[in-house]
Amino acid sequence: MERRKTILICDDEPALRELIRASMDDGFDFAEASDGIIAMQLAEQVAPDVVILDLMLPRLSGLEVLARLNDDERLKDVPVLVITAWNETREDVLAAGADEFVTKPFDPEDLRSAVNRLVAA
Amino acid sequence: VSRSSRTISLRDRMLIASMALAAIVVGVFVATILAVSAARTATKQEARSKNLTVSALRLEKLVLDVENGVRGYARTRDKRFLQPYNEAVRVMPYQRRNFRNLAEEQPLQARRAKAIDDAIVIYMESFADPVVQFSSQKAAELAYNQDGRIQAAGIHSRFGQFITAENKLSTEREHAADSKSRHAIELGVVGLTGSAILILLFAVYLARGIARPVTEAAAGAGQVAAGDLSIRLSQKGPGEVGELTKSFNEMAERLEATRGELEEQNAQLRESERLKSDLVNTVSHELRTPLSGVLGFTKLLLTRDFDPETRRHYLGIVDAQARRLSDLLDDFLDVRRIEEGRFERAKELVDMATLLEEEAQLYRQQSPKHEVAVEIEHPPLAVMGNPDRLRQVIGNLISNAIKYSPSGGVVAVTAERENGHVRVEVRDHGMGIPVGQQSKIFTKFFRGDAAASGITGTGLGLAVSRDIVESHGGRIGFTSAEGKGTTFFVELPGANGVKDRQGHDDDQS
Repeated sequence: MERRKTILICDDEPALRELIRASMDDGFDFAEASDGIIAMQLAEQVAPDVVILDLMLPRLSGLEVLARLNDDERLKDVPVLVITAWNETREDVLAAGADEFVTKPFDPEDLRSAVNRLVAA
Repeated sequence: VSRSSRTISLRDRMLIASMALAAIVVGVFVATILAVSAARTATKQEARSKNLTVSALRLEKLVLDVENGVRGYARTRDKRFLQPYNEAVRVMPYQRRNFRNLAEEQPLQARRAKAIDDAIVIYMESFADPVVQFSSQKAAELAYNQDGRIQAAGIHSRFGQFITAENKLSTEREHAADSKSRHAIELGVVGLTGSAILILLFAVYLARGIARPVTEAAAGAGQVAAGDLSIRLSQKGPGEVGELTKSFNEMAERLEATRGELEEQNAQLRESERLKSDLVNTVSHELRTPLSGVLGFTKLLLTRDFDPETRRHYLGIVDAQARRLSDLLDDFLDVRRIEEGRFERAKELVDMATLLEEEAQLYRQQSPKHEVAVEIEHPPLAVMGNPDRLRQVIGNLISNAIKYSPSGGVVAVTAERENGHVRVEVRDHGMGIPVGQQSKIFTKFFRGDAAASGITGTGLGLAVSRDIVESHGGRIGFTSAEGKGTTFFVELPGANGVKDRQGHDDDQS
């Protein structure tokens, strides 16, 4: 049987973490972080297959988390999907090391298919 | 004195000065003309005096001619000697009249001239004429009579006196004429020089007192027109000119003050614009998160099948997120109320002790990481006010204490009575407020580094809270140490002091 894939969800808003979980297809494991520091700790512990990252995080910002993931030898190949409420352009976020990009408020279907693309790649 | 001089207008003063100047010049001219005419009179008198002397000498010569003629004839009986006599007798009346006329002017000389004339008449009648007319014997007697000689000598002596006196007079008149013409020249020179100097002074006064200030005012007005409002004129010049410069300076000052105010207002507007632009970003972020929940879960519920329990759970989330949106809207409406200055301040007795407990309980449920501890001395703590608004203030302070101490910990809420006031303190052990931001935290939409740190909020809570507290006659403030935590305090007048404050509150409403 194929190994279950793990998604690391980083968002300070519990309701949105639950929405993200509910949007995904069955068969994923989840790890959830409510701030940037916890996000880095979990990333190192669980070695996720995909990271879903809100850019507005307490303690350590999403962009900082993105930079640290890219600096980490074991984590730099993990695909990252960025969620943002700000008006950053897609190019800026992709240039910072993200692989996918959705803007709040997002359609759960778009998020689901984007994550599936990242897992399949 | 200055007031009475101010009532004479500049135009009148110029007119008066010009007229005075004209009068002085006319006076100088009149005096000069009088002096010149006096000099001319003196010169005329001198000439007349010379004519009189000549006339006297001529008359004396006639008398001599008569004398010699009569004597020669008496001695020789030769008719030839009578020729000068006849000639003299013929012109004598004219010369006598001429002499008397010329001498008339000076009384003393006139009397002398009359005496001479009388003596000549007596001499002619009593001696000369008889000698010529009578027979030779009688004539000879008469001719050798000493009387005639004495008379003639008397006449000559009188002529001598007369001419000496006239010479003296003439010399005196000559001196007078000299002195008067010298006077006339002096007066003319001094007077005209004086007038010239006065005119010059007047011109200088016009140039310095009026023309220069007016020119300066014109130049100043030009600079003001070009936008340099710092220009000031030296305040001088008479009457209206002085007032012109004074008014000009006042105008420039007022313009400058107005421009300063405008610039300040402009800066405030720019700051306000910047904050509003920040607000747009904040709103967009603050709206997007709950909106994501509402839209996302709604979509899921519409497109997928869930068991009833899960469905109910998701609907609960949608409801909570929609409420958050609604609260957000209320916050913005509060800001409008602040801006329009119309916070309703319904006054009723509120027990702050109960209110604090209830709010603390509410936030305990929201954040399990934090321990919200309430400690109240001597409840109840009654104040007069709007319970919903006071709840909003306390809720905002506790919520901030939780948000700005993200690692968790104790949030200590204390309340006590102090000098007739109720003092509430909310203390956290969080990140504290950087010194550079402490003066701005009550500013609308100001959020410091909160946005970058992922701390939610609109930047309105404290601004609204301050407005509410101040509308209750209280005050709000804080102490903070970066990295150690912040303590906010609210002081509200105690309810037993309400009666004293009633009038004051009425004034405000």
